[in-house]
Formats: sequence, C-alpha cells, structure tokens
Amino acid sequence: MSDPEKKTLDLRRREMPKQPPEVRRYNFNEVALGYSAESAVEEAKRCIQCKKPLCIPNCPVEINIPAFIKSIAERDFIGAVRILKDKNCLPAVCGRVCPQEEQCEKTCVFHKKGGQIAIGRLERFLADWEAQQRELEMPEILPSSGRKVAIVGGGPAGLTVAGDLIKLGHKVTVFEALHRMGGVLIYGIPEFRLPKVIVTREVEYLRKLGVELVTDFVVGKTRSIDSILEEFDAVFVGSGAGLPWFMEIPGENLNGVYSANEYLTRLNLMKGFLFPKYHTPVKSHRRVAVVGGGNVAMDCARSALRLGAESRIIYRRSREELPARLEEVENAEEEGVIFDFLTLPLRYIGDENGWVKAIECQKMELGEPDASGRRKPIPIEGSEVIYPLDAVVCAIGNSPNPLIGATTPGLKIGKKGNIEADEKTGATSREKVWAGGDVVTGAATVILAMGAGRFAARSIHEYLSSL
Amino acid sequence: MNLNSVSQILDFAIEKEEEAAQFYRDLAAKMGQQHVGEVFESFAREELEHKAKLIAVRQGNMTLIDSQRITDLKIGDHLVEIVLSPDLEYKQALIVAMKAEKAAFQLYQGLASSTDDANLKGILLTLAKEEARHKLRFEIEYEENFLREN
Repeated sequence: MSDPEKKTLDLRRREMPKQPPEVRRYNFNEVALGYSAESAVEEAKRCIQCKKPLCIPNCPVEINIPAFIKSIAERDFIGAVRILKDKNCLPAVCGRVCPQEEQCEKTCVFHKKGGQIAIGRLERFLADWEAQQRELEMPEILPSSGRKVAIVGGGPAGLTVAGDLIKLGHKVTVFEALHRMGGVLIYGIPEFRLPKVIVTREVEYLRKLGVELVTDFVVGKTRSIDSILEEFDAVFVGSGAGLPWFMEIPGENLNGVYSANEYLTRLNLMKGFLFPKYHTPVKSHRRVAVVGGGNVAMDCARSALRLGAESRIIYRRSREELPARLEEVENAEEEGVIFDFLTLPLRYIGDENGWVKAIECQKMELGEPDASGRRKPIPIEGSEVIYPLDAVVCAIGNSPNPLIGATTPGLKIGKKGNIEADEKTGATSREKVWAGGDVVTGAATVILAMGAGRFAARSIHEYLSSL
Repeated sequence: MNLNSVSQILDFAIEKEEEAAQFYRDLAAKMGQQHVGEVFESFAREELEHKAKLIAVRQGNMTLIDSQRITDLKIGDHLVEIVLSPDLEYKQALIVAMKAEKAAFQLYQGLASSTDDANLKGILLTLAKEEARHKLRFEIEYEENFLREN
C-alpha cells in the first residue's frame, strides 16, 4: 500500500474525452468517450489508498473502491473487474449514470481540494474494458437451493436482486412489463448518456448466470402477486415509478403536450429517432419546452435538440436549485439548450386543431427564507410572458403505477402511491413479498435502487435459507 | 346569516370548519384507494382542530392572534379545478385542499370588506389570515412532494 507521507499528492483529475458540443448536438451517440487504459492507470495511481476509506460507506452497493482502483493502478484489470462485480452487477451502467459526485467521490479525501479521484470514470473504464475481452469471466454460483424467486420489474433494483440471488443458488425469474429488460435504463435514459448496447450486455450477463427473463408480462394484469406466490417462494417488487405527473394546468390535453415518460420511451425504447429503420415515428417539432429541472428534464431537452428543435428548459427556481447533475446541466448548456429560470408555466395555449402553440408563463422571485432556510419562489404579478412552441414535455416527476397495490390485498401503500417497505430489508406488509427502488422511494437514482435491491436480496436469502 | 357581532362571526366560522371537515370525510369515504382516503381523513381532522380552536376563542379560553402577513406562494391559483371522483390521487387531494382554503380566505376577506365596523372587520381579517395560513401549509406540502423537480 502506498504511503501518503512519502508521496507527492496529485490533485489533477484526468479528464475524460467527450464529443465536442457542436458535433454531439446533432447525433445520439454517447457524449463521453471513456478513459484509455493509460488515462485510467494514471488516474488510479493518484489514489492514496486511505487506511479508513470514506468512499466505501458512501457507495449504496458497498463496492470495495480502493481495492479495485489499486488493481487498475497495477494494471491488473481482471482482478479489478472481479472486485467491482463482486458488489455491482451493472458496472457499465453505474459508471455512466450514478451521481458519484454526491456519493463516493464526495467523501474522497481529495474532494475539498477539488481533486477527488474519478471513481465513476474508472468504474466505467473497467466495465468497458471487460466487454472488449473475448470471454466474460463468470462468477462462482452456489449449488441449487431448490428455492424460486420471482422478480417484478427488470430495472436496476430487480436486476440487482436477480444477480445477487442467482449466485446464491436460487432459481430466479424476472417478469418485465415491456418487451425489453432494463426498465428506466432502456426506456428512460437516452442513448447519448447510456448506450442501449451496454444495458443489453449487462442483461445478457445475468441471462448467462442463469436468470430467466420474461418480457411482455404485466404483473397485476397477466398474473397477480398472489398467483405468482403459488409457484414461487418469494417475490421482489421493483416495478419502478412509471406514472407521470403533470402540472395540472389548463391545456394539458392538447396534442403536443407529452409526459417525459412518453417522450423518452418513443425515442429510447421505440427508437423513434431512427425512423423508418424502426417503425414508431416521433413527430418532428420546431420549438420544444421542457418543464422541470431534474436529470429527466435535461434528457428530454437534449433529445429535442438532437431532433432539430429549439429546446428550452422552464424551471420555477434558480440555477443553484437545479436537481439535475451539474455535469448534465453543463452538457445541456454547451449544446445550446436555453434555460428559463424562475419561470412558472400557467397554461398551454392551443390552435384551432387542438395542437399546443404556446405556453404562458409567469416570472418568479425568491422570497424570504422559510423555517428551513430555503427561499421559496413567489410569482411576480404582471410578469406574464408567452413563448410560441409546438411541443411541451412535462418532466416534473413520477409515482409508482397503482396496479400492483390495487391487485395485492394486504400490501401497504403510502400516500404517494409507493409500496411501504423496510428501509434495511425491503420487507413489505405482505409475507413473502419484498420491494425496493423507485416503487418504494418514488423516482430516485439508479444506484439507490440497486442499493435497495442488494438489501432486499440479503433479506430474501436469509428467509429462503430458513425454510 | 347575521354577522353583527364577534360571537355571531365565530359561530359562523365554527360552522364552516365543521362543514369543511364533513366535506373531507365524505370524500374519504368515496375514495377507491385506501391511502388517499386516509389523506382526506387527515384533512378532516385538521379542520376539526381549527374548529376546536375557534370554540376555545368563543369561550374566552384563547385569543386569536392577528399574525404577520402570511406568505402566499400562489401554487394552487393556476391549477385546474379537480373533478371529484373515487380515483383521486394524493396530489389531487392537496389541490382540492389548497383551493378550498383559498375560497375560505376569500370569503372572510369579502365579508371584512362589506362591514364598516372596525371590530368586526378586524376579526374577519384575522380569520382570513388563519385560512391563508392553512392554505400555505397545503402549498408547502404540495411543493415538497410534487414540485421537487420543478
């Protein structure tokens, strides 16, 4: 192990190359291009291998971060992959979309000096390096336990549970409502941030481990949880948050007003941007407004831009409060997305054919700090403004679909429509039923869903082992 | 409706709080989803707490304090009217509540502007502020739950 006392601290994070903004705004190819092996080794060598690393406790899936970085620094990429995949079955995904700046990298000892180790970029490098090798290394799988687990939803939470339980010898079946596995990774996050070939690769890895993957199967319609429990020993529900919220303002029924879910699903799952190669077209718009300031809003605005539209974000608060990752905000700004901060939509205005043609907004100002110290936006009277447009995408949040709650007697549902589950185990009010990810927390991050999946898998394994 | 004395105004306000509680109880009973019914039940309990406070004021056990100006976030002002049906969600329940409190605020403001009696005007404006405070409470709950990304 390196001795920090004897080593000159290197605070220069190695930059990851990206497509230039003026190029990438016209294509759906991935924006970030990843580290070369040389860059990865250089970056890994900066890690001082803290004796009490603070990065690990801040990783929701508890990856031994210093250990895999040390292996990279020693050019032992296979060893590094083993360490990484011991705790993370979706490293290529996490390396791209996890908010590392808010988690592991935030507690890096170099963070205060602005030189935190680029853990996410290293994770991504390893996963991509492994994918380039001829044969993926398969982990040890314990002998069959004879127990069967059904997983509802093929998104990050469900896939994590599947990956953990299959290795422990249980038979695992994932039921996915859509025609492809991956959940939000497939239908939500755009190609330019997470190429779908990567999600497919990670899903195929699980299939090779022995996980049975069933698509076009809507639990709650095709079969209920109770019916599934007649055949399986346990059920994990990770069905996500797929019910979009709208603003509840006049004009939302006009044509051209989309939920972010619909807009992104048309582009990502149905490949609308590749029409006519793929069969579901997406309407071409000239001016698109996206309401909201989270990562989903950035994804929608940047997608609209790539489809040739003038694209603007309408956000009720100021830039400082944007909930999206700073990296995504900066990417959107570089590409030419227009930001209207402190702006609130009041109504959508339609034409004589029922298509949206404008949005009326009101300007806001930040009021006095409330008890929590936050300044809430307050409308400025007489500041109304109208923007002409031909599409609006509402990206203000989602709740879980109510179907499973409505068809599963005794399953306790919270007031926001979320399944109530124990934070540490994922156990629900129903025996033999666990839940985790967005269906419990409401729309959150991929890695938090995976963390919840890990806890639930542990609890399910304990239960199955006790039978 | 005679509102010629503080006592009559308080009786009126107490009756309005009871009506509001009944409105929410009726909605709670009609909800298809239990968790939304529970939300309306909790709103009804809050109205009964307001009623109890006004009864205490009328009995002389408590004083209505004319507080500072209440912030109006105006979150509910531009939202569409919610059609009351058994399949309402929590989000829509909060919109119903914001709009009901706004209507109550406007009622007392209107009554205050229709009297020249300084004493009666004062109590009516104080009641209006109470309703504005209730509206703000629902606006904050709505903002924290449904406007996090906006």
